[in-house]
Amino acid sequence: MTRFSVQATKSSPHIDFDPETCILEIRGESYPENCSNFYSPVFDWLERFLSDARNDRVELNMEILYFNSSSSKTFMDLFDMLDSEAAKGRSIVVNWRYHEENETAMECGEEFMEDVRNLRFNLVEYVD
Amino acid sequence: MATNLYKYYEEMRAKGTILYFNGPVSQAMVEGLAGIMREKMRAEDAAMASVQRVFSILVEQMQNIVRYSSERSSHLSQGLGEMAHGQVVVGRESDGSFFVACGNKVRTEDVDRLAGQLELLRTMGRQDLKEYYRERRRRLPDADSKGAGLGFIEMARQSSRPMDFDFVPLDCDTSFFSMKVVAQ
Repeated sequence: MTRFSVQATKSSPHIDFDPETCILEIRGESYPENCSNFYSPVFDWLERFLSDARNDRVELNMEILYFNSSSSKTFMDLFDMLDSEAAKGRSIVVNWRYHEENETAMECGEEFMEDVRNLRFNLVEYVD
Repeated sequence: MATNLYKYYEEMRAKGTILYFNGPVSQAMVEGLAGIMREKMRAEDAAMASVQRVFSILVEQMQNIVRYSSERSSHLSQGLGEMAHGQVVVGRESDGSFFVACGNKVRTEDVDRLAGQLELLRTMGRQDLKEYYRERRRRLPDADSKGAGLGFIEMARQSSRPMDFDFVPLDCDTSFFSMKVVAQ
């Protein structure tokens, strides 16, 4: 599989999914004009990646400074997709990274964590 | 009209208005206006939580204008995205808290549904809003929604008091919608 990479814009995050290391990263801000259009290639890639039996352990690092309500729905769909993979016995880790002063990002991470069951959801605080 | 601008300027200043915009709104305008408000508030050392709330409410309101204002450009060339007419205001209440308000035309047939949603949110407390948000986030959006259908709930959660809103009938098909959110 080829690596999936998208440059960040003002309203959409940098995305880097590496099929070799099985480390997926989404970083930046997320409030694109049309959220489903923006993220649909991401879901397509992930579906193919997850159906590939070779990758046992998958790690998703998310560092989102701000996201709008449409992105919130999209991220929930993304975590649900990973959660059902984890339910099949696969090791899935999500690291939700937030700056120590970004209380909103921390609270949003907590709410996502409450809504998943099988994957490991870590809240990771970082400082400058 | 040009000679009246000073009058508008003074009126806005006296009311504590920080930003007033009336005109075509596109995604680029959402990024620009919300971005410059954030920079200005940061430069004035506003609390990080206030900066984030104002930014967030402004994005939700302006994206609602882009998606739902009934006054829109129909001859846009490909690739420019959508553009619709509306207004936004950011200012401060007498107690110093920030407010974000928006106004745009909507179809009269949508008024009951919108008013119903907003009335429901006005009755909810913090915990109810959280539960409702989590429940709706898992549900498929309504057929008439172009987003996730979470924008109003998100704003209600950021609001320090029940959100104000108003509909003014303009003609058979059109009403003017306005709402105001005071950031927590």
